[in-house]
Amino acid sequence: MNLEALLASGIDGLMLGFVYGIAAMGLTLIFGVMRVINLAHGPIIALGMFSVYLLTNQLGLNPYLAIPITVLLGLAFGMVMYFVAVNRVINEPELTTLLATFAVSLIIIGLGTVAFTTTPRALDVNLGALRSGQITVLGTKAVAVLIAILVAAGLYALLYRTRVGKSIRAVANNRSAAEIMGINTRGILAFSFGLGTALAATAGGLIATLFAFTILSGGTFELKSFVIVVLGGLGNPTGALVGGILLGLLEGVFTIFIPVGWVPVIEYVIFVLILLVRPNGLFGART
Amino acid sequence: MSTLLEIENVQSGYGEVQILWGVTLKMEQGRLTCLVGANGAGKTTLLRTVMGLLPAKQGAVRFDGQNVTKTSPHERARAGMAMVPEGRQLFTDLSVLENLEMGATPNHARAAMKQNLEWTFELFPRLKERTNQIAGTLSGGEQQMLAIARGLMAQPRVLMFDEPSLGLSPLFTLNLFQIIRKLKERGLTMLLVEQNVQMALAISDYAYVMNHGKIEIEGEARKVRELESVRKAYLGA
Ligand SMILES: Nc1ncnc2c1ncn2[C@@H]1O[C@H](COP(=O)(O)OP(=O)(O)OP(=O)(O)O)[C@@H](O)[C@H]1O
Ligand SMILES: [Mg+2]
Repeated sequence: MNLEALLASGIDGLMLGFVYGIAAMGLTLIFGVMRVINLAHGPIIALGMFSVYLLTNQLGLNPYLAIPITVLLGLAFGMVMYFVAVNRVINEPELTTLLATFAVSLIIIGLGTVAFTTTPRALDVNLGALRSGQITVLGTKAVAVLIAILVAAGLYALLYRTRVGKSIRAVANNRSAAEIMGINTRGILAFSFGLGTALAATAGGLIATLFAFTILSGGTFELKSFVIVVLGGLGNPTGALVGGILLGLLEGVFTIFIPVGWVPVIEYVIFVLILLVRPNGLFGART
Repeated sequence: MSTLLEIENVQSGYGEVQILWGVTLKMEQGRLTCLVGANGAGKTTLLRTVMGLLPAKQGAVRFDGQNVTKTSPHERARAGMAMVPEGRQLFTDLSVLENLEMGATPNHARAAMKQNLEWTFELFPRLKERTNQIAGTLSGGEQQMLAIARGLMAQPRVLMFDEPSLGLSPLFTLNLFQIIRKLKERGLTMLLVEQNVQMALAISDYAYVMNHGKIEIEGEARKVRELESVRKAYLGA
């Protein structure tokens, strides 16, 4: 057993964890504000990947310019999705909203497969690397971490420093009270949903700068997001970021000892354990 | 004297269950109107319907001459209607200040937030000491103050209170009625739904008594107070 290899893999996982965290923040934000579990989360992550890919390869943009554009596209997509698929069932039981978002997921996967096939794509980005012994930090990964931090800080500032952000928290807290204060709660719900999908798409865009992908690649990250959201406490964006970093680190360390194919198994085990032992997440109040 | 809010023959309820059977009520500009009645009479249902949280099956709600029956609650709030709901309905995860900011959502209130905050803190100095405290951690009385203060931050043209004294100590209740009197002196049009019928009738200009989803009695508050039936049913005399 080589300590340096462990450290190298741990650092690698930890950095990737920031990106997982961004994706999970999107899922948990939507759940926290409107109690909707977005089953189109994975496919939207994949759309984020393709958005960056197409903007870069078709329009010739720099991938790091494509990412902010993808944030906006993700926001717009989510707001449209809210009005088309979610708003009509927003007051229905949770199974109904699950089905609505699942339908969107199937549509994205179906159309995406037709449009892009499932042949893997990859971006050609190279920002060099920092090396020290066995430890390698890819430039693309370091930039992904940086962007993830900026996005998380931006979300935090939005939610706690701006009126629209406070309105989002008010709507999450008490929707009918928010409505009688004069807050257009439907608009806030749509915007919150859009923020959630923007985070998912951003995470997808960052992942596309790191790995090859297909339209189906969102699935793995959706699973990770679920684990992280439970880890960090449902509806808690800060918890999701920390949970993401933690999961990334664990993955990095585990893959030294066990084959990569076992990672989803480990993730499910963590998922179930957390649900059993700390259903409010690692940072939530004990029940 | 002009009518600011007019409720005309309103019928409403929850799904198939009808609660209000044609309620007509008027609120004159600058007056304090009270609405009393037994538990389950439909007072909260009426306020929710007036604010638009429940749809009116029949009848109309007119505010400042405009028919608002079909508009959403947030549009009514922006037009100048505000409610301090039963059970406070605070944003318990937000701070005191954030609750007040959310109260000041209508454009005219947003523009005047600073001044409004100042005089609201004058009315409720307790809240000023606790601006950054999370609302859910306030005491019951403080929460009730915050609910009222949040309603005032909307700088409403009409303010409807749904049992504001519920759960308050006698001292707090006295304080609350003093505040309502001050607001009346400032010319605010108000509707007061109260369990404390004695005090409500004492400070109101006009009174409605509701029973089984209908208005049974209405009139000048001091006259309603003298009625034998009212004294028997609500004033324990
Ligand atoms: N969400 C609801 N669904 C069904 N029925 C309801 C609902 N809320 C209230 N009701 C019923 O409507 C009737 C009127 O209730 P409402 O709350 O309007 O009375 P109230 O006059 O405000 O009473 P209180 O003085 O106790 O607050 C009651 O019989 C109550 O059981
Ligand atoms: Mg009531």
